[in-house]
Amino acid sequence: MKQLTKALAIISMMGGLITGTQALAEPFKVGVCYDLSKAYTFASPQVSQAAMDLAKLINTKGGIGGEPVEVIVRDHGNEPQRGIECYSKLSREGVFVFDTLSTPVSLAILRRAMEDERILMQSLVGRGDAVDGTVFDWVYPIGPTYWGQAANDVAYIKHLHDGDLSDVKVGFVYFDYPFGQEPIEILKTLSEKEGFELDLYPVPLPGRDQAGVWSKVRRDKPDHLIVWMLGGAYVVASKEMKRNRIPMEKYISVNWLNEVDIANIGNEAAIGLKRGTNVVGGPDVALRHEILAELYEKGQGSGPLEKTQDVFYNTGLAMYSIVFEAARKAVELEGLPITAQSYRAGLESLKDFDANGLMAPITVTAEDHGGGGKTRIEMWNGETWVPQTDWIAEYSDVVWDVVKESSSKYG
Amino acid sequence: MFYRLSGIHHANYVSDSRIFKVPADRNLAAFVFLFGLAAPFILPSLYLNSYMLPWLIWTAAALGLNLVTGWAGQLHLGYAAVMAVGAYSAIHAARFGVPWEFALIIGGLASSVIGSLFAFAALRVKGLYLALTTLAMQFVMDWVLTHSPAISGGSHASLQSPTLALLGQEITSDTGYYYVAFGWCVLVTIFMLNLKRTGLGRALVAVREKDFAAAILGVNSFYYKILAFATSSFIAGVSGALLVATFFFLAAPEQFSVAVSIQVLAMVIVGGLGSIIGSYFGVALILLVPGLVNGFVATASQSLGMQINVETLAHIPNAVYGALIVIILLIEPLGLGKLYGNIRDYLLVWPFDQLRK
Repeated sequence: MKQLTKALAIISMMGGLITGTQALAEPFKVGVCYDLSKAYTFASPQVSQAAMDLAKLINTKGGIGGEPVEVIVRDHGNEPQRGIECYSKLSREGVFVFDTLSTPVSLAILRRAMEDERILMQSLVGRGDAVDGTVFDWVYPIGPTYWGQAANDVAYIKHLHDGDLSDVKVGFVYFDYPFGQEPIEILKTLSEKEGFELDLYPVPLPGRDQAGVWSKVRRDKPDHLIVWMLGGAYVVASKEMKRNRIPMEKYISVNWLNEVDIANIGNEAAIGLKRGTNVVGGPDVALRHEILAELYEKGQGSGPLEKTQDVFYNTGLAMYSIVFEAARKAVELEGLPITAQSYRAGLESLKDFDANGLMAPITVTAEDHGGGGKTRIEMWNGETWVPQTDWIAEYSDVVWDVVKESSSKYG
Repeated sequence: MFYRLSGIHHANYVSDSRIFKVPADRNLAAFVFLFGLAAPFILPSLYLNSYMLPWLIWTAAALGLNLVTGWAGQLHLGYAAVMAVGAYSAIHAARFGVPWEFALIIGGLASSVIGSLFAFAALRVKGLYLALTTLAMQFVMDWVLTHSPAISGGSHASLQSPTLALLGQEITSDTGYYYVAFGWCVLVTIFMLNLKRTGLGRALVAVREKDFAAAILGVNSFYYKILAFATSSFIAGVSGALLVATFFFLAAPEQFSVAVSIQVLAMVIVGGLGSIIGSYFGVALILLVPGLVNGFVATASQSLGMQINVETLAHIPNAVYGALIVIILLIEPLGLGKLYGNIRDYLLVWPFDQLRK
């Protein structure tokens, strides 16, 4: 009998836990369904920490339009099925802004979000052609597409060669699956247009064996290398480059390279390495300083302090500055409460927004949901990231041709 | 008391070959079937759409794998690849304008052909070697999908599925999708229940136990192995196609990766090899428990006001889920199906077995 009452007490307690949270006021909620346990863990902890910190900072300043904001972080383990579950659950709780930071999950919920009229923010992941707002009216991949980023890399190389690429050789080293294959088409188009020679170097997954790739690079002697890889593969690449005496200066990475990768490569060895980016690298960012002063020094941070020094933390701050700025605009335009429709209007009224110098200025319109897709090249100098260019978005006609060609096949 | 039966005795072959030898089992099955029919009117749409529907489709798929692994005893590590073949063939057929009924069958047949082609090569080897050969099939499939935009649907490798339509009816509602999944799962379950009592099923079991002993009995083990691969691949193909048509709405290579193959195998093993009801339990555990535990841990920590790092929070459910699998397999190595069987056998004689002690 005693046991039974104990069990009943526990059950009722749990019941209380589940129902107890719903009595609070209705804040503006963002559904952050992230992969915090499987494939995307190289970036998801920093990005989600930034999201939570930013929400806390906004709440200490009185929220948006007087209402608090809330980010609901859930793990989906990069499984589409669990992503859909997270999406369905949260959208029934009234969340209408979602972010997945995972390409498979983003793909899996895209059609649902379009049908349910929920906003899917998919910065840096998911299908690139979703920047076409005329087709994907509820999807906002704010930031560069891989196509745009690769085009900007080529523009940078062109700048280095004083505008003449006719006898330049560019090597493209990429993970041989959709993530890495995506820029190939645009690089081929640009190679025809600008007359540079393009060599492709596919790296088989998971990228632990790249000996063949880099000895081929040594034989071909490309002048520049555009690299589309992730995580552990960078270290293997840097070792093979050293063995083949390929200087780091030739190397331009995709945006997914952070201080952890630099530390793994070795700080000295990484000097001269470049990466394309849409956010300012390095910890010297106004918004971060504000967060440190308001939260971390008072012991209110959402995670360890070291993670805030990571460039992906800046990426997270940039992504969520946009999310909350759009909410602010929505309140300005149509007042409280924020609805999916007014939030969309808020997003589409963002103009040259750069979150106080944190990122490339974005301008979202009903046609361009990518916000312009500006990036710049930064170089690691042993201590921090040094910008090599202004924020640029070159060859946008070529990029948009690819976008339109791809988005026209949707449906 | 619960089963009202004094032992199972057969007086003739007809009674021996009945699907349900205990009336209470039949009643329970009928009750579950009725519940399944009524589910859209009872359950909130979240449960119907995010839990019941994937559960039923994956159960159908797991039953297919159980046919080849549980019944015929052939280890299969490339099951997701076979599902992918079915999904992609069916969607391409449907996009081409073939009615969905035929598209599904085309998907099933394509899987069947490719699955058994591989079996031809694979069946010269056994056990772990067979497992490796099927794993190779998985990698071949992955490679083909990521390297042929014509199949996978363009540079971002996602292929939209056209709206599902069966018997001239467009299916767009949650309830509609659910009934399609339910219908397919019931169909596969009935097939598997009947398999047990046919010559084919017995031949498969003979092959599983010892293939050359089966050959001495006049069972052509090679033929039955191929048949098992072909049948299970057909089920896999249709399940894969339905999974995309009713749940994902688009096919992407990640949905059929090697991790998924291992997951399906885990569903079958945790559920119990050769157990039908076990497949239902196994799928529920592997597919649904991580999400449920995740939600529960999140709400619990939130309302208790605990400051737990989101990363830690994400890993606790994984640890709980892993521990659950280990504990279940320690308690009953034959899986959840056997665990259910033990409870049923206990209740079959309760309370009279208490008298003896």
